[in-house]
Amino acid sequence: MGLPGMTVLVMFVAVPLLLGLGWSFTNKRLISPLPTQWVGMRNYTSILSLRTIRIDPVRDAQGGIMREEDGRPRYPKVRELVKGDPALEDYGEWFRVKRGDGYSVWLSKDPSFMNALLNTIRFVIVIVPCQGGLALLLALLVNRRLRGTDALRTIFFAPVVTSMAVVAVVWIFLLNPSQGIVNYFLSWISAGALRDIPWLPDRRYAHVAIYIVSIWQSAGFQMIIFLAGLQSIPEQLYESAHIDGAGPWQLFSRVTFPLLRNTTIFVVISTTILAFRVFTQIDIMTKGGPQESTSSLIYYVVQQGFRQQHIGYASAVTVVFFLFVLLVSGIQKALLRSSGEEE
Amino acid sequence: MRNRKALFLTLILPLVLSVAVDVYAAPANKAVTLWFHGGTAEETAAMKSQIERFNASQKNFKVEMTEIPGGAVAGSGYNDSVNAAAVAGKLPDILDLDGPNLYNYAWAGFLRDLTNLAGADLKADLLPSLIAQGTYKGKLYAIGQYDSGLSLAGRRSMLKKAGVRIPKGVKDAWTMAEFKDALSKLKASGQTEYVIDLKMNYGAGEWLTYAFSPILWGFGGDLIDRKTWKTADGVLNGPEAVAAMKFFQGLFAQKLANLTPADDNDFVNGKTALGFCGHWMTTPYYKAFGDDFTLIPMPNWGKKAVTGMGSWAWAISTQSKNPDGAWAFFKFMLQPDEILAITNINGAVPGRISALNKTDLYKAGGRLAVFSDQLKTGVAVPRPATPAYPAVTSAFYTAADSIAKGADVKTELDTAVDKIDKDIKNNNGYPEK
Repeated sequence: MGLPGMTVLVMFVAVPLLLGLGWSFTNKRLISPLPTQWVGMRNYTSILSLRTIRIDPVRDAQGGIMREEDGRPRYPKVRELVKGDPALEDYGEWFRVKRGDGYSVWLSKDPSFMNALLNTIRFVIVIVPCQGGLALLLALLVNRRLRGTDALRTIFFAPVVTSMAVVAVVWIFLLNPSQGIVNYFLSWISAGALRDIPWLPDRRYAHVAIYIVSIWQSAGFQMIIFLAGLQSIPEQLYESAHIDGAGPWQLFSRVTFPLLRNTTIFVVISTTILAFRVFTQIDIMTKGGPQESTSSLIYYVVQQGFRQQHIGYASAVTVVFFLFVLLVSGIQKALLRSSGEEE
Repeated sequence: MRNRKALFLTLILPLVLSVAVDVYAAPANKAVTLWFHGGTAEETAAMKSQIERFNASQKNFKVEMTEIPGGAVAGSGYNDSVNAAAVAGKLPDILDLDGPNLYNYAWAGFLRDLTNLAGADLKADLLPSLIAQGTYKGKLYAIGQYDSGLSLAGRRSMLKKAGVRIPKGVKDAWTMAEFKDALSKLKASGQTEYVIDLKMNYGAGEWLTYAFSPILWGFGGDLIDRKTWKTADGVLNGPEAVAAMKFFQGLFAQKLANLTPADDNDFVNGKTALGFCGHWMTTPYYKAFGDDFTLIPMPNWGKKAVTGMGSWAWAISTQSKNPDGAWAFFKFMLQPDEILAITNINGAVPGRISALNKTDLYKAGGRLAVFSDQLKTGVAVPRPATPAYPAVTSAFYTAADSIAKGADVKTELDTAVDKIDKDIKNNNGYPEK
């Protein structure tokens, strides 16, 4: 009886997973006449290797600090240090932190992967509470039996049924610095104080723009789930709480929220997993830039595997990604379960 | 009741008959599958009618076109599809490839060698730039109907008002000093919000390599060391390349160029007096401004005047089961009149001398003569002919995108070099089989 389902699972989940795992130990390329070779753990060491070196200002013979033309102390070029030291082969600078006179420089064999990983984690940390919170607010709003809530519900849900590719293209126009409606509106409500914000070309704003678009597009989905949860709460509970003299806040914090516990757990876990997959809006709106400030793990995998044709390497990244998501959802589940047991 | 039956028959009978005719006709027409990157609506329509003319002109083959979008702008969609099909053994008989991407496919063995199919007559008549672009390691793998044209667009009235000399042709192109002077004069004249439209609306993609890597060459740098083909170090991040990209960055920093144009129309809307102008924009520009619009040859960047070239070209896949049909279609669409049917719409330079001579647009004094002169005089230079090209271009356009947005030039170019060198190393230096 479970045969059709199992066949689909095996064909589209198990087989690709195992193939990917196998390829991750090879240098398999997408299209190439070269034979695929076993490279052992090389892809993984390249992804995960990290180390730090210290650099101090360059000094002249008298011990005085040498300076650049603009007066800043001169530091040795990290790229040259790395090239001159066989122990540092393949490493590149990821970022640097000021330590006393000099810098502590973090090196990675694949700084682009590290940037993609950090961006993805940052994305999840922002998206899960913001999107979940907004969805709950919208659900509470729509759940009130007032006139016009049906229309509101449709409006909030409309972006969810719109393809992310379309949403992303539309938002490129909305976010245009000089002609977009977003800046026009900001400038209007701030009486001209906020003007011409370079949303997508500036690394200070580009990731924020991606957050906004992502939340706008998918909050309606979680709203519907919360709404289902809200409507399953029996009306009598509110009535009796009301008779006991509970105010609106107490109604929410003592009745609504505890009874939404299972819904919340589902929303948090599913939003986390969905957020880890962020790709389309990045591919269309920023191409991971500027300076990799918006690249994500999936974007990096597609970039490596299809566009640069390094299938073996991209497979290794997906295996690392898979283990990472497994770990995070495991921790989430354990935390949510233990917090449930305390009550 | 009777009427109904008659109605039913008149509606259904033709349908049944047409299906029957199709079934009957099918064995005679051997299907030839063709993939076409999504061009503009007009290009696609012209392509479709070309295929209809071919199918009507003979009985042996029937070309069936599939249009796959994502090729022209910031595109990877089309290439992603071709890559996937190549791996799966599902390539069509005929496909079109954007300029330098073909070296990677040729190296990987997915393209049929056309050297012997194209006779001496055809080769002698093709633009030398087309042969150069379609050749990898001495073998011809792709033939385009046209080559691209890229130069500057200008508004005569605005240039005149700002007191800027308008070059008459490729020979008296602006020097770098003149170009910089023109930019500042136009800025000072205050006629437009920006001065030069660099089409940054195309995003971080092939446009950046096609249009701006020539500036690298003009300054004395390059994308890759074209002697050894084994590294980009010292070429793409040398002092010449750094100077070139600092100049590029300065255009945005000084507000001479718009980093975020909303669409293709900054020049048409009067936001700039100059613009980088690919052949596909000449028709809309001419419609908007008539003779006030003029093409200006690319300036001498310092070492030499350089511009981009190379366009979509047709190839036959080695997976093709019907190469005879594919080649029959090649011969059809390479006829001068068929070439002109496309280039009259997209403004590209016709790929055969005999076609070129049939139109006045590219003759001395013609509206688009700058394009053909740049191709004939070697101002237009092909992008590097290396199977590493996909890695080279993605490293460069990613860097150029960040540089335009204000990143440190040397750091970005160093990063690009490291990515390219790593790719070459990972492919064992791209050895020939």
